[in-house]
Parts: sequence; structure tokens; C-alpha cells
Amino acid sequence: MLRVEDLHARVAGQEVLRGVDLEVPAGEVHLLLGPNAAGKTTLLSAIMGLPHVEVTRGRVLLGGRDVTHMEPWERARLGLALAFQLPPEFRGVKLGTLLEKVAEKHGSSDMLGEVVDMLRLDGLLEREAFRGFSGGERKRAELAVTLLQRPRAALLDEPDSGVDLESVSLVASAVERLSAGGAAVLVVTHTDFLAGRLGGTAHLLLGGRIAARGPARDLLERIRARGFGGLYGEGGG
Amino acid sequence: MVCMARAVAEEAVRRALSKRAEYGPDIDLSRYRMGRPRVEEGVPGGALLEEARRRVGLDPRGISYFQVGETAFYRAMEASLRRFGVVVKPLRIALEEDERARRIAWSLVPPDKDKYTAAAYLYGGELGYYVYVPPGVKVEQPIYTCLSLFTGGEVQFTHNIVYVDEGAEAHVTTGCMVPHGVKGGLHVGISEFYVARGARLGYTMLHSWAPGIHVRPRTAVRVEEGGEYYSYYAVYSPVESIQSYPVAWLAAGAHAKFTSVVSAEEGGVYDLGGGAVLEGEGATAEIVSRVMARDGASVTARGRIESRVGGTRGHIECLGLLLDSVSRVESVPVISSTAPGAELTHEAAIGSLSEENIAYLEAKGFTEDEARALLLRGFLSVEEPGLPEIVRREVERIVDYIVRNAVG
Repeated sequence: MLRVEDLHARVAGQEVLRGVDLEVPAGEVHLLLGPNAAGKTTLLSAIMGLPHVEVTRGRVLLGGRDVTHMEPWERARLGLALAFQLPPEFRGVKLGTLLEKVAEKHGSSDMLGEVVDMLRLDGLLEREAFRGFSGGERKRAELAVTLLQRPRAALLDEPDSGVDLESVSLVASAVERLSAGGAAVLVVTHTDFLAGRLGGTAHLLLGGRIAARGPARDLLERIRARGFGGLYGEGGG
Repeated sequence: MVCMARAVAEEAVRRALSKRAEYGPDIDLSRYRMGRPRVEEGVPGGALLEEARRRVGLDPRGISYFQVGETAFYRAMEASLRRFGVVVKPLRIALEEDERARRIAWSLVPPDKDKYTAAAYLYGGELGYYVYVPPGVKVEQPIYTCLSLFTGGEVQFTHNIVYVDEGAEAHVTTGCMVPHGVKGGLHVGISEFYVARGARLGYTMLHSWAPGIHVRPRTAVRVEEGGEYYSYYAVYSPVESIQSYPVAWLAAGAHAKFTSVVSAEEGGVYDLGGGAVLEGEGATAEIVSRVMARDGASVTARGRIESRVGGTRGHIECLGLLLDSVSRVESVPVISSTAPGAELTHEAAIGSLSEENIAYLEAKGFTEDEARALLLRGFLSVEEPGLPEIVRREVERIVDYIVRNAVG
């Protein structure tokens, strides 16, 4: 469903991705692991087509369709969603309004109440979106936006960072809901809790390439035993 | 003796005919034709009523007072208003018939304040509306009035008094406009609002002017103990210049909120805002403005809250949005206190639409224009719980109109 081929990309003139190959089938959850500054956020941004990332080579395919040169909003309308690690604060736009507009845009207004309940956002709807939200509130709100996009492929950038255990559990439920709906889900995470619960396949990004891949639990154990550096050069096996 | 006093007072007002206003571009009044003020029963022609519907969203059937140029039309009040003893009539008639109107007239806005008030006092013929709401009466439907210039090159004076008696509640909505094609003119509006103890007055003013028009409203409000005044002021058309600085004086436990939403465009000069004087313990005030400038417009957003006793609170929020590099926004929030124990705060910010917000929304499936429209609508939408539902819908229509014009 989501396929990345030989993706090279630069940020501010600096090459960050050096030939990434990756595939996430429909209905599966894959983890993207790697040390800080490995390029995980850059990879998700490049897949989404965000303007600060310049793709210099390679392709992004969504359901077999080449979206590499499309605008982000075109990709989003085709079913690609990115849950930002740090969604920006909005002035004047309430979370409730944002969710309504996203739902209208993606034909998911009928899901709105259920998503709000599931992610316990009721008390936040009248507040300006993401403004002064706690870590957990921010992540839950961003996941609600992502769910309402009804994506075919979802890129989740550290949905569990800086949140309490209860919120992590809600986040995991939301991820499972995405995959149960048939979405290909790629999750950047640093925590064992989410990795342990979601399982699936993991990809390790090192030096701008996928250095290793395999069952998430195995890969996490190898990382714990040998560190990220110890896996460098294993290749995508 | 009384005649002597009035003669002295009139002399002071005459001297004020050359007194420049504290703010805003100065206007040479001699450039404008002054009509002969007159009052007629009934309603103006259908074309003007249709303009009122189109430009300021007022349903012609519901307008209680309509002033076109220097002619005041008033219709028989609707039965629902009359039943409760609510009075809506031309001020000129009210000054002959009603002691309260005489007591308030020119007591809150001094006629020698500046050249505009002086001219209105001397030549305005006391056209304008008078609204009286008896004690304890809660008027559920908004009271609509409409003020329209008629031809180019004329000056329109209007003097309005609203008196909401103890424990009563009312909402007055005034649409100000020019018919299509009228390019020049001056509107001078004097408004004096008296909110008695425990009463509540909401006031919505919708301005739809045109290039070449100058507008000089002069508004003052007195709110007695426990009373409440809130105003929503929207300017959403080109105008040559508009300068308005309404001030509310608040007694103990009284509250006032001024909200201004301004879409400034086409090289116009907009000098708007409001002030509040907290005179009684427990008085509170909020002044909120959302200002958007484009196409060479210049905006000054003022807010001033002065506290004279402890136990008072006030907050000013001036937010400006600059949509191009040929426009200008200036924000002037002032808080002043001579009383320990008063809490006054302000927040002012000028910026552009956030590129980060736009990029985020694009990643969610919105085109750039859609993203800008969503952000603009959010910026311009100010929570005003006191607005009647029908007025709220009109305000939303206006915000949509502003957003459509700004984004395309």
C-alpha cells in the first residue's frame, strides 16, 4: 500500500536520506526506529511532500500510484496522512472546528463523535487547537485529526513521546483502529511500550538508509544488546 | 438666566467648530453640503430597503428607524415592542415628549468635544433614534435601526440615545451604509447609551461604507451598578477614513465589553477602539479587537482601561493581521490605574497568517486558499455569548464575506 523506493532527500541543502527503501502493506503497523537525528521525521515529511524537504531521487507510491511530485494536500486527499510530532498551535481556531473541517474534507463527519469519545477530547473542543495542550492532549488531538482523514496510509511521528501511560494506551488503540480499517501505518517511536503492544515489522533508519528490518521485538532486542551503532551495515534483511 | 447660560454654552460649541479631534485625519466640514433635517412617518423607497438587506443584512420589515441622509423615517413600532412599553422614535420627537431623553441628551457626549460633535449639535436637527426600555422588560428580539447616506458630498448627522431602565435587557443593532454608487460623504453619529442599575444592553454596529466616505461616530455609555454593556462593532468595507473611540463609564459591579472586528482595505484610514473607566468597586471591562489590513490600508487599534478604585479588573486584547507589505497596523493598548488592588492586563500582537499553520493544514488536505480562509475565519471570530442568535448569524455572514474577499 505504501512503498518508498530509493528515496534521497535534502533539508536546507544537507543530504539526510540516502536511498531509503520501505514498504508497508495495507492493514499492517510498521515501526520506524533510529537514533535521534537519524532522519525519521525527514523521511515522514518527504513521504508527505512537506515543502522544507527536497526530494532529489526516488519515488513514493501510494496504492501503486506515484505521488512523489504531488502537493501535500493532493496526497492527503488520496489517503496519505501525517500525524505531526509537534502540531502547531492555532490562534482563533478551536479544536472542535478543526476536527469538523477535517471531517468534512474527508467525508468522515459521521465518525466525529466516536473519535472524540475514544480519544477523550470532549473537554478540549472549545479550546484553541493545540494551544497550551499538555503532551498527551496534543498527541490525542493529532491522532483524532489523523483518524478523521480516514487514511489509506498513516505516518505517525512519535505519537507516544511525552505522554502519560494512559494516553499511550489510547494512542495504541487509535493506531490499532487505523490498521483495522485497512490503513498501512508507519510509526516512529522510541518507547518499548508502544513497540511491544503494536508488534509487527520494524525498520531501523541509520545514516540515511534502512540499516536493518525484521520483527519489531527482535529488532528492539538487538538494539538493546548492541546499540544502534552495532546494527549499522546489517542492511535491510 | 437659563437663556443666558444656553447662549454661553452655544458660544463654546461654536468655538469648537474648528476644534480638531484627538485622533484621525482632520476633515474640512465646509466641503460638505448640509441637508434640511426632517422627520417622516413610514419607510423609504424599496430600493434603499433592499440595499439595507444586501449591505448590512437587515430585514427591511424589522427596521424600526431608518435615516436616509437628513430625513428620518420611522414606522409604527411592532406590536410586540409596544406591548411592553418599549419606545423607539426619532430623537427630535423624544426630546419634546420625554424627560429622560432630555436628561441624557448631550450629557454623556459633550457637544464641544470636537468639530464633529459641535456641528451635530448646531446643525444636526436632533435626527437619530431614541430607544427606551422600561424597568424589568426583557426584549428578546433585536431592535433594528439603519443609517444611510443618500447622495455624494453630503453630511449626515445622527444623534442616538438608548435608555435601558433598571433590570431591563435589550439588544440594538444598527446598520450603517451607503447605497451602491455613492462615493463621497461624511457620517457623524452621536450615540449616548444609559444602562440603569442591573440592566443589560447589547449593541451591534455593522458598517458597510464605500471609498470616499468619512465616518466619525462619537459614543459614550454610562453603566450603573451591576449593569452590563457589550458592543460588537464590525467594519467590513472600504472607507476613506473612520475614527471612533467609544468610552464606557462603569459603576460598582458593572461590566462592559467592546469587541471590534475590522477588515481594512483599499488605502482607507481606520482609527478604532474603545475605552472604559472603572469608577466603582468590582467593575470589569474587556476590550477586544481583531484587525486585518490589506491593499494599503492603515489601521490604529486603540484600547484604554482606567481604574479609579480597587477591586476592579480590565483586560485589553488587540490582535492585528497584516496581509501585505503596503498596509499598516498599529496597536495602542493603554492601562492606567490610581487604585491599589486593581488588576489590569493587556495583550497586543501583530503578525501574518502562520506559514506553519498553513503547511499543517495543507498536509491535512486543504489547499493553500482553504487553509488561509480557515485561519482568517478563526482570527476574526470572537466569542460573544451575549449576541442574540439572529445577530450571531448575521455576524457570521459578515465574517464569511470578509474571508471570501480577502482570500478569493
